[in-house]
Amino acid sequence: MAFQPPKQVIVLPQTQQLKACTTIIRDKNTQRADFIFYSDRIIRILVEEGLNHLPVVEKTVVTPTGKEFHGIDFQGRICGVSIMRAGESMEQGLRDVCRSVRIGKILIQRDEETALPKLYYAKFPPDIASRFCLLLDPMLATGGSAIKAIETLIDYGVAEERILFLNLISCPEGIAAVVAKFPAMKIVTAEIDAGLDEKLYINPGLGDFGCRYFGTDK
Amino acid sequence: MKSKLGNHVIAGEGRPPWYRSDGQNCDCYIVGIAGGSASGKTSVAQRIIKNLNVPWVVLLSMDSFYKDLTPEEVEIAHRNDWDFDSPNSYDYDLLLETVTKLKEGKQVDVPIYDFETHKRVPNKVNTVYGANVIIFEGIFGLYDKKVLEMMDLKVFVDTDVDICLARRIKRDVAERGFDVSGVLKLYQRFVKPSYDTYVYPTKKSADVVIPRGLENLVAIDLLTKHIQRQLQERKMQSRWDMARICPPEELPSNVLVLEETKQIKGLHTIIRDIETSRHDFIFYADRLATLVIERALNELPYEPKDVETPTKKTVHGLGLKAHIAGVSILRAGGTMENGLRRVIRDAVIGKILIQTDPYNGEPQLHYCKLPPTIREANTFIFLMDAVVGTGAAGLMAIRVLLDHDVPEDRIVFLSFLAAPQGLHTISRAFPRVKIVTSYVDPILNPDTLYLEPGLGNFGDRYFGTEHD
Repeated sequence: MAFQPPKQVIVLPQTQQLKACTTIIRDKNTQRADFIFYSDRIIRILVEEGLNHLPVVEKTVVTPTGKEFHGIDFQGRICGVSIMRAGESMEQGLRDVCRSVRIGKILIQRDEETALPKLYYAKFPPDIASRFCLLLDPMLATGGSAIKAIETLIDYGVAEERILFLNLISCPEGIAAVVAKFPAMKIVTAEIDAGLDEKLYINPGLGDFGCRYFGTDK
Repeated sequence: MKSKLGNHVIAGEGRPPWYRSDGQNCDCYIVGIAGGSASGKTSVAQRIIKNLNVPWVVLLSMDSFYKDLTPEEVEIAHRNDWDFDSPNSYDYDLLLETVTKLKEGKQVDVPIYDFETHKRVPNKVNTVYGANVIIFEGIFGLYDKKVLEMMDLKVFVDTDVDICLARRIKRDVAERGFDVSGVLKLYQRFVKPSYDTYVYPTKKSADVVIPRGLENLVAIDLLTKHIQRQLQERKMQSRWDMARICPPEELPSNVLVLEETKQIKGLHTIIRDIETSRHDFIFYADRLATLVIERALNELPYEPKDVETPTKKTVHGLGLKAHIAGVSILRAGGTMENGLRRVIRDAVIGKILIQTDPYNGEPQLHYCKLPPTIREANTFIFLMDAVVGTGAAGLMAIRVLLDHDVPEDRIVFLSFLAAPQGLHTISRAFPRVKIVTSYVDPILNPDTLYLEPGLGNFGDRYFGTEHD
């Protein structure tokens, strides 16, 4: 990989089975059931890795054998925030790991007049400012809507360093844009692709993630 | 035998270890019984089995090894002109192969012979596995020299020929639709000459001759006692010794422990805590299982695979070059099946029930149902257990897989938690089995056989069968 991601970016260990999973979801011939299954598998690994970057405290528990185990406990509460619609595809994977987690939603669409991303809708848990936010969007392309979403979270009082942005596929352009704007935030990604093509799609990418996950492609 | 310990019922006796602590099989004990037609061989064999009163004894009949007859020969047989009493009627190659594999403790497929068509029933066999004692009987039971060499005890049932003939007439008229003259015709043409020429001389090879067959209770009783004593001498008492082995500091090279991330440590903190509710225990155990399975998957072979994306770009990816079959060591290994299915949606799952004998702490094999695909090329077995203590159950389960012709290097043994003793024991016996676990605890308590700090009884906590 020629591109050296900045230190804010955590790339999942590039194991063979991760590569085999992304190969399946990138393949245009993959059936929807498989697309969902393998996406969920990658998302679970993403969430597990993301949680590794939350603060912990030491905790000692007593086991049924009466002995002590010196473990850890996670500090602080979390919530998921999905960027609609594609980000919602990551909610199942999040719930597989964090049962009954609270999930906020953000709808961002391109403004017809200005061609810039515009916030249309946001609904968060009322105490979001005190939580760590796992921001969910499967593809990080130009970073336009991600930046808008992060701005919205910050508006609601979430500290930048308490946001973890999880995505499956990212590219150098999107990473650079987001990191330049929010250097205290972390990005967890499964794979970094070569870049954007002339239509601003990720190259090679996997097409429209939301359409393939929710079955709305033709 | 049926023992009841609180809410725990073990009906019958499982199969005690049939291998040494280095994982190699001990030879199975083979008793050969020969004698004339209707001398009472089968009855003697059945009486011995009844007296032994253990489930891991298999009766193998030489009738299963009759050769297939050609259509012309079947015609002759239907006219009662075919000599079934000739030693040439049997397939000694197949017999030798079968007895050799049984002796080595392997699983074998015994043909089923159809006496109507005089052919082996196509696509149907008796699968025999798990015998510590084989009783092989037939008129030519002591005839083939190579088979003879494999026997531990050779018995000739020497019943008076007049009594044999009388029994044969009675049986063939009542059960096989012959008339008396038909029986006598066969007897004079085939049965008697064959007995005199081939069968009776094999008596010389016998260790024990039983006059009067089944009536001879004293002889059968003596035989049974001898077999029991032989089995007792071979019995292994290994598990408790295993717990007292002081293992080397370093873990064996075929053991992979998951990287101790905050997640792993956090999950372990929850499942080890005695205060954790079952609801949470199950949820976090399933999560941990998924991580163990994902880690194990990385040990399998992959091959380059090019695919095209919906945006018509080519991706040089990877494809898994293996099939996976799960096998859980029941009861606790079943707790990993959820994790397996989360990662390999349609994985076939076999089961092996191994329980600890409450009287001596030895593992016993009670049940084994394995998918037929386990020995196919490129199939890897994810053998699952919750906690590896002494390694005794894992050793037994791996032995079962090897006995079913699964290559050693296609077994991956998975667990949540392991003790160094067990990891070393399994690695020493089966160095080519990969072992994946999420955590290694330092202590295996030699008295309770629990790991420390450990997490108690994993199966009880997952299935909710612990005492409050």
